[in-house]
Amino acid sequence: MVKGADEQTQMQEKKQGQGLLLFSVFVIATCGLIYELVAGTMASYLLGDSVTQFSTVIGVYLFSMGIGSWLSGQVEGDLLKWFIRIEILVGLVGGCSAPSMFLLFEHVTYFRIVLYSFVVLTGILVGLEIPILMRILKSGIEFKDLVARVFTFDYIGALLASLIFPLLLVPYLGLIRTSLVFGIFNIAVAAYLLYYFEETMRYRRRLLVPVLLSVVALLAGFVYAERIMSYSETLAFQDKVIYSKSTHYQRMVLTRNNRELKLFLNGNLQFSSLDEYRYHEALVHPGLHALKGSKKVLVLGGGDGLAVREVLRYPDVASVTLVDLDPAMTQLFRSNEMLLQLNKRSLLSPKVRVVNDDAFNWVRQDTTRFDFIIIDFPDPSNYSLGKLYSSKFYEELRHVLSDSGIIVVQATSPLIARKSFWCVGHTMQAAGFVTVPYHIYVPSFGEWGYIMAMRNYGWHPGADLPTGLKFIDRNVMKSMLLFPPDMSEVTTEVNKLNNQALVNYFEDEWAPYVH
Amino acid sequence: MKQVLALVGVSFAGRYLAGCADVGRDRPIQGGIVGSGSSIGHMIRDGKAFPPPSQEVRTGILIIGGGISGLSAARWLQKKGAENVIMVEMGDETGGNSIFGQNKVSAYPWAAHYLPIPDVANTTLIEFLTEIGVITGFTDGVPAYNEYHLCHDPEERLYIDGYWQEGLIPKFGITREDEAQIARFMKQAEDHRSAKGNDGKFAFCIPLDASSADEEYRKLDRISFRQFLNDNGYTSKPLLWYLEYCCKDDYGSGLDSTSAWAGMHYFASRRGKATNASSSAVLTWPEGNGYLMSALRKHNTYPVRTGLAAFSVANTDTGVSVDCYDGGKKSTVRIVADKVLLCTPQHVNKYLLKQVNAERSIYDKVHYAPWVVANVTCDGVPEGKGTALCWDNVVYGRQSVGYVFANHQNLVRKNEGVLTWYLPFTEGSPKDARKAIYNKTIEDWKKLVLEDLAYAHPGIEAFVTRIDVKVWGHGMIQPVPGYVWGADRTEAMRAIDGRIFFAHSDLSGISIFEEAFSQGIRAAEEMLAG
Ligand SMILES: Cc1cc2nc3c(=O)[nH]c(=O)nc-3n(C[C@H](O)[C@H](O)[C@H](O)COP(=O)(O)OP(=O)(O)OC[C@H]3O[C@@H](n4cnc5c(N)ncnc54)[C@H](O)[C@@H]3O)c2cc1C
Repeated sequence: MVKGADEQTQMQEKKQGQGLLLFSVFVIATCGLIYELVAGTMASYLLGDSVTQFSTVIGVYLFSMGIGSWLSGQVEGDLLKWFIRIEILVGLVGGCSAPSMFLLFEHVTYFRIVLYSFVVLTGILVGLEIPILMRILKSGIEFKDLVARVFTFDYIGALLASLIFPLLLVPYLGLIRTSLVFGIFNIAVAAYLLYYFEETMRYRRRLLVPVLLSVVALLAGFVYAERIMSYSETLAFQDKVIYSKSTHYQRMVLTRNNRELKLFLNGNLQFSSLDEYRYHEALVHPGLHALKGSKKVLVLGGGDGLAVREVLRYPDVASVTLVDLDPAMTQLFRSNEMLLQLNKRSLLSPKVRVVNDDAFNWVRQDTTRFDFIIIDFPDPSNYSLGKLYSSKFYEELRHVLSDSGIIVVQATSPLIARKSFWCVGHTMQAAGFVTVPYHIYVPSFGEWGYIMAMRNYGWHPGADLPTGLKFIDRNVMKSMLLFPPDMSEVTTEVNKLNNQALVNYFEDEWAPYVH
Repeated sequence: MKQVLALVGVSFAGRYLAGCADVGRDRPIQGGIVGSGSSIGHMIRDGKAFPPPSQEVRTGILIIGGGISGLSAARWLQKKGAENVIMVEMGDETGGNSIFGQNKVSAYPWAAHYLPIPDVANTTLIEFLTEIGVITGFTDGVPAYNEYHLCHDPEERLYIDGYWQEGLIPKFGITREDEAQIARFMKQAEDHRSAKGNDGKFAFCIPLDASSADEEYRKLDRISFRQFLNDNGYTSKPLLWYLEYCCKDDYGSGLDSTSAWAGMHYFASRRGKATNASSSAVLTWPEGNGYLMSALRKHNTYPVRTGLAAFSVANTDTGVSVDCYDGGKKSTVRIVADKVLLCTPQHVNKYLLKQVNAERSIYDKVHYAPWVVANVTCDGVPEGKGTALCWDNVVYGRQSVGYVFANHQNLVRKNEGVLTWYLPFTEGSPKDARKAIYNKTIEDWKKLVLEDLAYAHPGIEAFVTRIDVKVWGHGMIQPVPGYVWGADRTEAMRAIDGRIFFAHSDLSGISIFEEAFSQGIRAAEEMLAG
């Protein structure tokens, strides 16, 4: 009797142990699929073209699981111990995958390599899980029951994952937190098995250390997730945020959808890859093509290198100096593959010198004479930017402009911010320049305006534009000079350091569109 | 570049703050109390025994005190070709109340921080500003100012009802009646600005000694500003707050300790003109009036001995003998001069001149407001709801007069800055206040400064990296009723025996650059004449 009771409890314990292991199948299956979905989504966020990205990620992932399954055959010895170890590893690698990819995006030229390394590694580890688990379980259950139950739980887990991922996790947690949370689940499985099974006594302590360390690491990731990408920010943009960073000077956010890549600085759209060519061709070519001979070019702002890309179309440009305040910005556009494709590696050209300094200070100190000066600052939406549109700033430019040189300034929308636009022109006139205002249409921004300025009138548009332009041609250069009545010149004050007239116009005029 | 048409209106500044704040910074806030140079001053006051002179120096003219008045006198003497002049200054550097500090983030003032553009009639000052490039040219006699030096826009904001409004005159939550009273007062001030006395002079001038002698206006000096406002039916709280703030800010005095003449002078004396700025424009620099002070300092080629405090002046047969204590060497230097110019405040002169037989009734009449100035270095800039960060930022209904953003004139805006915070002690006895502030430790000050700043900027502690404090025991002369046009003041400016001369802003009764500057010139002229 006594023995029977013993046996019964043993049986019961064994059953409970099996139930627990089957439950782990459910958890790890969910986690496994989540990692795969995270990687696929990440790839389509960061690289675009979601169909290709998803199918290659899934393919590579499944193949890697196959490798894992094959490798499981090589595993001998204490299987439970192996299983716990693998759980810890899966939790750590899978959990860190999304945050690591977000962080590395900026630094790694070949983002794909990082991406697929994560996919392969997670795939292999996940592939190891089920076969080993089945071997642990096989002593207690008949084979057909074993297979039936394990796969039932496996597929239920997969279904659950595929439902909660798009419906709950991405919208409410975001990718980074999702990956971290499921990493913690994986490790929780390891911890519980370690605690539940007595046979782990011998190595319980030794494995407890990595378990705790991994949980701490993932929790720390949670705290930093807010820094990598604030949750509220992801909601503020229509498209997927693929990169964001607060630098000393500004908040940079890159978003993408199927068609385009967008850069936002402090929430203001900087460019859309779809139509930025219109904006940058219009910024550069009307002025630059009209200058003869070898030229020295200065670009103030424009750390994205897109204006420089247009400048480099002219073989007789001898040098380009780009002054942008934010080193993080120029660094990003010199190292990220996707962005390098966009700016045609312009910032890496031997002709280009990048200076990270404040334009105002730099101009006051520099003594070079430039033939063409491009001013591509953010809109005058605050007082510190307003200083870069002041008469004093334009006066300083006189010292660095060659006698027959041309300056061009991006000058916001003459339609929406009519006073602001003309105020820039009048301010340049007050600084002693002759001006040529013009405007074009950029779908992402609307009607957009520029002011060309020179010491004496000397702008003669010609026919010798560089080849390969998509927007600017002779006719566009004629029509861009015409201002219909709703954008025509209005009287304004001159923008000075001590009145900041422009910022006030700009605030008034853009307010209805921003709020 | 560009703004999207349908921009999702997210304000990042707010989240920036929140985001950084909850990282939870435990790093301690650095800083200390700087230059407590008053210790030798206290030795002089307490009649401590100084060592006998171990060195004797002979000179033509000795200037004691290298504040604006002393430096201005030196400049004038130099212009007129005077030779054999030396200057002694108690502090480690000249500058007095116009000294400044500097750290990685910005230069910042330790006290005086701005100069309103002067009246063209103030020719000596206009000439000086032209010499140093603050005025860049003239059109029909009207100066054009260097735009880097004119205070950049936006200039001032006031925190009231949880919101930063533009300008310092309260606009939010005020009644019709308040509005009407404010308008009436401003109109009255405007009228006083153009008013002339029966002698044809403007009623209110800078320097104030150029003002009309007409009793009609001078009688205002015998009553307090509060009395005047009361008599004129001004009862509006926001108006009275604003006027009191102005007195505190410029004079270190309250409505009761400011004479009605001085109170009106603040509003009615500024007739500055410029081709490129309004008449109310002010000149300022990251280092405050340290900029003007440095220009004066640079101009001076006479020998200057800093760290040397005069403690006794004696009128002898061979000249004026001045004993000075060198705190570093712990020794005394005797300087014998033909003429001595005391550019030191009267509360110091009281002790220096103990051995000189002279009736100077001024000592009982001078009252000085203690001031505490803190320079708060932040790795973030305090914005808040409403108007963006300005040069001058004031909070309604507080004892402090707010803070000046020292980086304001910098052309580059970084996400860090220095706030120069000002606290005058206008209530109660200045003596008690001095005692209390000398006893406070840097930790006490840090707490007090942070509490005050946090009122309008909750959570600011997380951004503050250091707080340096300077205590001005006798910061500013208060233009108490009867002082400016009392006989004692004019008498105190009179030289003794044609050998001992006086210049200091406290001899004007209002503590501003223009007064110190012209006091120095007046005294230099007297010395050269006599
Ligand atoms: C907090 C504060 C804020 C201010 N803000 C402004 C402002 O914004 N604009 C403005 O115009 N004015 C301002 N002022 C007024 C400022 O005091 C004057 O502008 C000007 O600097 C005064 O110069 P001064 O020469 O009259 O006096 P001080 O600056 O007092 O000069 C006296 C000098 O004498 C020295 N000295 C004293 N005793 C001795 C001794 N025994 N031996 C040798 N040397 C001695 C002192 O060290 C000092 O250098 C401010 C003052 C304070 C306290």
